[in-house]
Amino acid sequence: MHIVVCMKVVPRPEEVKVDLATKMLDRAGARSVINSSDMNALETALAFRDAHGGKVTVLSMGPPPFEPYLRVALAVGADEAILLSDRAFGGADTLATSYTLAAGIRKIGKVDLVLCGEESSDGGTSQVPPSIAEWLNASQATYVERLVPGKHGTVHATRVLEDGKETVELSVPAVISVVVGSNEPRFLDYDRWAFAQSAKVQVWNEKELCGDPQYLGLKGSPTAVAGLREVKKAGRRRETVTVTPDEAASRIKAEIDRAKIARS
Amino acid sequence: MTATDDGGLWVYAERRGSSFTPVSLEILGKAKELSRQLSVEVTAVTVGNDGGAASELQRYGPDHVLELVHPLLAVHDGKAYAKALGTAIQKAHPSTLLLGATRNGQDLAGRLAVRLRTGLTAHVTSLELDGGRQLVGWVPGFGGGIEAGITCPEKRPQMVTVRPGVFLAPPEGSPTGDVKTVKVDLSEEDVGSRRVSFEPKGSSIDLTRADVIVVGGRGTGGNFGRIEELARRLGGEVGATRVATDAGWVDRDRMIGQTGVITRPKLVLVLGVSGAVQFTVGIDGAGTVVAVNRDPEAPIFEHADLGIVGDLGPVVESLLRSLGGA
Amino acid sequence: MAQRSENPAPVRFDDEAWEALAATTNANLCFQCGTCTAACPLAENTPLRVRQLVREAQFGETDAFLWKCMTCAECNASCPRGVDIVGLVRTLRGREWRTRNVPKGLPTLLWGMYSDGNTFHLPPKQRASWMQDVKVPGKGSTLLFVGCAASYDPRAQRIARSVAALLNLAGVEYQVMGTEEVCCGEAARSVGHDGLFRDLQQRNTEAFRKRGVERVIAISPHSFDALKAGQSANGGPEVVHYTQAIEQLLDSGKLTKGSEKGTVTYHDPCYLGRHNGVYEPPRRLLELSGLKVVEMGNSRAQALCCGGGGGRMWMETPPAERPGTRRVQEAAGTGAELLATACPYCISVFESERGSEAIPVTDVAELIAGRVKA
Repeated sequence: MHIVVCMKVVPRPEEVKVDLATKMLDRAGARSVINSSDMNALETALAFRDAHGGKVTVLSMGPPPFEPYLRVALAVGADEAILLSDRAFGGADTLATSYTLAAGIRKIGKVDLVLCGEESSDGGTSQVPPSIAEWLNASQATYVERLVPGKHGTVHATRVLEDGKETVELSVPAVISVVVGSNEPRFLDYDRWAFAQSAKVQVWNEKELCGDPQYLGLKGSPTAVAGLREVKKAGRRRETVTVTPDEAASRIKAEIDRAKIARS
Repeated sequence: MTATDDGGLWVYAERRGSSFTPVSLEILGKAKELSRQLSVEVTAVTVGNDGGAASELQRYGPDHVLELVHPLLAVHDGKAYAKALGTAIQKAHPSTLLLGATRNGQDLAGRLAVRLRTGLTAHVTSLELDGGRQLVGWVPGFGGGIEAGITCPEKRPQMVTVRPGVFLAPPEGSPTGDVKTVKVDLSEEDVGSRRVSFEPKGSSIDLTRADVIVVGGRGTGGNFGRIEELARRLGGEVGATRVATDAGWVDRDRMIGQTGVITRPKLVLVLGVSGAVQFTVGIDGAGTVVAVNRDPEAPIFEHADLGIVGDLGPVVESLLRSLGGA
Repeated sequence: MAQRSENPAPVRFDDEAWEALAATTNANLCFQCGTCTAACPLAENTPLRVRQLVREAQFGETDAFLWKCMTCAECNASCPRGVDIVGLVRTLRGREWRTRNVPKGLPTLLWGMYSDGNTFHLPPKQRASWMQDVKVPGKGSTLLFVGCAASYDPRAQRIARSVAALLNLAGVEYQVMGTEEVCCGEAARSVGHDGLFRDLQQRNTEAFRKRGVERVIAISPHSFDALKAGQSANGGPEVVHYTQAIEQLLDSGKLTKGSEKGTVTYHDPCYLGRHNGVYEPPRRLLELSGLKVVEMGNSRAQALCCGGGGGRMWMETPPAERPGTRRVQEAAGTGAELLATACPYCISVFESERGSEAIPVTDVAELIAGRVKA
């Protein structure tokens, strides 16, 4: 099987600030990492390939400085890497992002499985995987913790839901989102470092992607950011009080209420 | 579809078992509130292999209940459900669609938004009108430190998924609205996945997914009965430190920290724990940390939003009383 | 006491694997006398048998209990043939990474070291949080290398502040790297991941060069040992442990003796003592405070390991197998009022595994910081 893993490079949350004057995100100088659940998706893909054969390609969308992160994925074990990079892709919301990634997957050609992390730590929408599936008219399974081959070229995916675990049989091509922490991502292999550094990371721009420009980037994004606000300062409040047990209980109760715990 | 479309406000009522997800009722209540401001009607829409559960929804005040049915829709499948709901939306042109941000709700919403070529605001924690007819959904990002207000200025319906627990479900009333059951046009190719098995959430412990954790340490002196009671009342799980698991007070699979489980609950109550870094790395990702400890110098207070200095027993008893219930 | 099976699996030979090991270790020198097993503090409570581990290596095989080793080097110190058994353990562990047959949690540890630059998976931005109100001269060619534990662990941060206070008291010029410091990589080396160890050492070498560092003072014996090995391989600066650096200040008359009364016992950290032969400086510093140093039965080269080395800080050890508990008992048995050591790992393990022993555990730097004068 040919597995494509969609990988996002995200800024470290504690290093992103809101510029209160412009109400824009200030990510300048923020160090970045590969999105956590995308590493779980990569591990799922590599384990599947190691056990059942095939090829793993990592695919990302972003500016050229993302390329070294794709090389890390190559050093971890991926076979090929592709970066979709063009100013025209910038400012994309989930609709435009999923369109661009789907166009990249279409250009790759024969792809059996598309694996993504369950959500990104910056946007946190978890919408991109099912959106890619619709653009590709593929089947989908989200919040998957386990993936194994099924009969007649299908795959079996175990989804973690609020009320239990559901195993589904999927026709391929299929788009799968992998639950964060569902496996322990293997560490990078320094013996692959030379390969990872010298391998060709294909960079596709708008022209090479052959997509429909109306669905790309800012223009292809129906949502708009109307405002930004900082909701809490970095770190803990560290409020320490010495009070009576009853007072303590009511203070704790207030924290419980504020945490808005759902009955989901 | 454009921003002028207005076939009212739709709410996706997600079925779970013989009933609905709690968030479905929460957003139905919110929709009622918005509909009064917008002077539009509210439709609660369900998807399944049969109708029949509509009477429950009617008690939460919708103007209409729409049941989309087909034998192939017995179990959630993102592909088939998106087609069923998408087709109905393309006929009725609602201006807004609210969904609960449950796992299946998200699974459906992402796919449906593409089908409808519209904007989707995911995981909102508050929802307001911008003064006109446009919704602003506030979404936390970047580890919860920043919130963005998202709108969908031109495309309709404006789609929003709402995080469970942020709105209150309205009280049940007398039944309202009419019920319409529509047989969906669907074939085998429209279905992407087929359920092979389902294992209901049982007794298996998974602290990594718990929303609430009550952690006991050395300071509990092994009195975990009350900790368990507290966790039960809060709908949460019991966690423990290495000292508490070493002492045999709690099973090893509940140990939190560097050589245990790394958790990210919405709320963690840390009781009688001094707070060595090997423990605190296991709770640093929590939404809110509340700590109770006798020692005002305990490092745990550095990792807490609220720290209570005092004896554990009386605080726990008081808290249990104030939580009420059995 | 744990027993090995009476019917072990049939012996296998893997010549190729042994030749590879023979090329990178000196395990060929072993003649199976078993002195190592007799010296190993784990032989009593765990199934690990060092002699057998070496024998299996000579057959090209990997011992099932390889990961229990704390790399405390009691075996190295006892071996009459000079076999570097700790080196062999690291090499064997390195082989396991290639087949991804490693204990759960270790890949995550290495990812954190690689991308966060620390062993706690905490943000690099918080690395300077130990400093609080400490003033650092921020100049000169000497660098205080704080290390992950003393940077992030609130308990160990006190050690870093004490060392800085002592250097300040003596008027030493030095700099710190703050949020730009990255892990020394010792944990990677201990768990056999030479690739990451060299990567992190390289990053440090470049940072030292950029800052014109000629001398590094390490707070953790693990950083001290790793930086010494890494920097000499890279042609980097001289590396000393803080107890050595402060001892020199003593000799130059920059610090004067305090008048504290009482007794203290000293636990030799493996990576300071056995691995690097630094036994006297911490004792001289303790005496500087005025306290009397009382020795445990197992001290200096015979010191019992706390159990935190060899990557064991990131692997869970069953209570019955923990040498830390025994060590605190031994310390309390001396009748000393305090247990002092000079390693953040030892302190963390002793605090967690002290059981019912109440003897306060402290670091040499903390102990003397408030008790000596300029």
